[in-house]
Amino acid sequence: MSGQMRPACSVWLLLVCLVLYSRLKVAASAPTCTNGQAGCHVLSLANLFDRVIQHSARMHGISNDLHSEFELYFLPSKNQIGRVSRNCHTSTILTPNGKENAQRMAREELTEVILKLLVAWGDPLWHFHQSLAHNHEFSNFSSNKSLEMSDMVHELRKGVQKVIEKMKMLGIIGNSLGGLGSSESLLAPVSAEWRLMKDYDLLYCFRRDSSKIQNYLKILKCRIVPEHGC
Amino acid sequence: MADVFSPGLLLMLMMSSLDWLSTPGSAFLFDRDQAKSAPLEPHFTECVSRDLETFRCWWSPGSFQNLSSPGALRVFYLRKDSPLSEWKECPEYNHLNRECFFDTSHTSVWLPYCMQLRSQNNVTYFNEEDCFTVENIVRPDPPVSLNWTLLKVSPSGLSYDVMVSWEPPPSADVRGGWMRIQYEVQYRDRNTTNWEALEMQPHTQQTIYGLQIGIEYEVHIRCRMQAFTKFGEFSDSIFMQVTEIPSTDFTAPLTLILIFGTVGILIVIMLIVISQQQRLMMILLPPVPAPKIKGIDSDLLKKGKLEELNFILNGGSIGGLQTFSPDFYQDEPWVEFIEVDEEEADSREKEDDQASDTQKLLAPPQPISDHRTIRCSETFRHPEEVFDHGSCYSADRLEEDSKVQMDAPPPGQAGDKESSTEFAERTPALDRCRAPPVQTQTGTPQTWVNTDFYTQVSNVMPSGGVVLSPGQQLRTQESTPASEHGAQTKGKQRDESGDMDGQRQKEPQFHLLVVDPEGSGYTTESNCWQNSTPSNSPNPGAGYQTIPPPPVEIKPAASADANRLPYILPDSPQLVAPVADYTVVQELDTHHSLLLDPTPIQSPPPCPSQPPLKTQIPVEYITPDLLGNLLP
Repeated sequence: MSGQMRPACSVWLLLVCLVLYSRLKVAASAPTCTNGQAGCHVLSLANLFDRVIQHSARMHGISNDLHSEFELYFLPSKNQIGRVSRNCHTSTILTPNGKENAQRMAREELTEVILKLLVAWGDPLWHFHQSLAHNHEFSNFSSNKSLEMSDMVHELRKGVQKVIEKMKMLGIIGNSLGGLGSSESLLAPVSAEWRLMKDYDLLYCFRRDSSKIQNYLKILKCRIVPEHGC
Repeated sequence: MADVFSPGLLLMLMMSSLDWLSTPGSAFLFDRDQAKSAPLEPHFTECVSRDLETFRCWWSPGSFQNLSSPGALRVFYLRKDSPLSEWKECPEYNHLNRECFFDTSHTSVWLPYCMQLRSQNNVTYFNEEDCFTVENIVRPDPPVSLNWTLLKVSPSGLSYDVMVSWEPPPSADVRGGWMRIQYEVQYRDRNTTNWEALEMQPHTQQTIYGLQIGIEYEVHIRCRMQAFTKFGEFSDSIFMQVTEIPSTDFTAPLTLILIFGTVGILIVIMLIVISQQQRLMMILLPPVPAPKIKGIDSDLLKKGKLEELNFILNGGSIGGLQTFSPDFYQDEPWVEFIEVDEEEADSREKEDDQASDTQKLLAPPQPISDHRTIRCSETFRHPEEVFDHGSCYSADRLEEDSKVQMDAPPPGQAGDKESSTEFAERTPALDRCRAPPVQTQTGTPQTWVNTDFYTQVSNVMPSGGVVLSPGQQLRTQESTPASEHGAQTKGKQRDESGDMDGQRQKEPQFHLLVVDPEGSGYTTESNCWQNSTPSNSPNPGAGYQTIPPPPVEIKPAASADANRLPYILPDSPQLVAPVADYTVVQELDTHHSLLLDPTPIQSPPPCPSQPPLKTQIPVEYITPDLLGNLLP
């Protein structure tokens, strides 16, 4: 009996190892494929867009939650909208304010706007998280959310850059965009006004901008790859 | 940034009890509710956008009814797209509804709007909380085209699952991705009032599980923008109901399959069990080792080979069981009758009995060498078995206490007459040396006067009387052949005892001493001459059968006795052989009378050289096959 069991066990172990190995291969992040190398798991542009849009939706949700929480704490007696709008550091970035304007905008411009926004919010959110973490008045829940928000902005920026590369590769958009290296150039017009902002205002501004990002990405996707979900 | 938090904390503590979760857009209503006492000035009731491209604002004059006429109030808005923006008037009025509509060109998302009411005489009614951004006031339209399909009915037929599907609101540009809408499905039993709400999800279909058959359900849906808080209106309700569906056509074959499957499996299992029965029994019920007695084969018991078994039990084989008296033979049945004179017996024996009783009670069992009272004379009162003890008394003996009163006439034994006569002849064989502790009884039925505490019953008369055996009754051979036969049978039983030869040698010596007329062994024997010959010969109709005591004990004495035999024999009156105190019922004869074992031979006091025999330990067992030999 044992003699029969041993080869069976070894075969079984071999199968398990093969399955695990294949799984691992799949789970491991696929290397950046250039020009469709063999063995690369290439994502389609539509899938990339979907991922990015989901990410932006998640980011906007978190920003909304945090903003609501801050409203509970700070209870603005008056509507802060009028006052705040002047102080957002991203106000200088020209963004389409309506669907038609966004649809009329060129793909490259729209993409650039998205990227500008994401770049502009990287540092402020990180510092916001630091201030929340060090301040014991805020719960861990808020602190964790701020950290998540900060990470998401960075992830989303990378994702959008990948989408841009893909689009450039596919020839959808021209090379007018600077690519990764242009992020620094995008930062230039955005001054360091955000350091002067208070936390609540910062959250309000970010909530607004995350909504913009989400909408713009959706419009972009439906213009470029309109299949399923548009 | 620290200065923000301390007042914020205070505010939080103060207002934590209140639910102030509100967006700037919803500030319209709150302030008005609080300021009830003050006269209500014209204000905006609500501004709503349905598609994130246009929006509407409604106002009311408040308590100022003079301004309720259309045109009395004018709407101005401020769109803060630059610090230099100005107040502009409503692009499109709808005075019937007191509504101001902002179309696409006038709507800018993500830009704050502020609304203002102005009267004719330039009185401005403005509230800072009436500022908003368009995305925060979005309330999507309800979905359209609701319908439901039956997914599945449970096997029990009591519940079912339903898939509800719908279309997104046409006003919302979901296809273009401009709006991302979440839907909330609610359903309820039509008779109840509480709605069951399912989780928000962005897809246009939803499965509802666990609805009960026979109940009508109502479903409606509402939606909102993702990550925003304002819900739109509920859609129109749809109703669904599923009645009983006798879906036996599907379940019947399933049940049949199950039944046949289980039956088949059971049959297979039974076949396996039956074919492997032995093995299974070994596994489930391992055999328990049976107890074994060393030297005994349980099969002997089963087959009824009592002779061999008895042999084994009696120590015939090495390591055989130890019985009480392995030396006693059980091959010579004998019965002894001892009769005691009433006159002298009573008087004397009373005393003696008392003494003996007392002695017996107090004194420990002692060997035969103790003093005994032997009655040497016996008189036969009864023609059958009346014996008169002689007046020969030997030293006291323990066994004498067992003055058993013999039942003089062993009734019901026709052949006993002969035996009695024979016995009468043989009475001289009684040992004079020993006083039989047994009292002979008169012709009358037994008198238990001088009965010792322990005695042995030699026989039970058919009339009911009990024939007791004297304690020192000796066993004698009845006949040579009988004794020889007995010896032989005895020899069969006793392999280890080398007395067989000796016994056989003694047998002819004891020939004259045989008392048993009918083969029943009246073996009366003095200790001087010990009879160890068994007479296992079957006694025809012998009511009395005795088994000779084991010869081993009397071996040494036997030799001595043997020498004396011829000496004593003619002279010695017939003495009732001392009957042992205890004897063993050998069997029941045909007349249902007990046949007792002969008492063991006890050495008489005048023969001190002889080692005392074992006292009345007449553990003489007779086995059925021995009985078979004994019986006619």
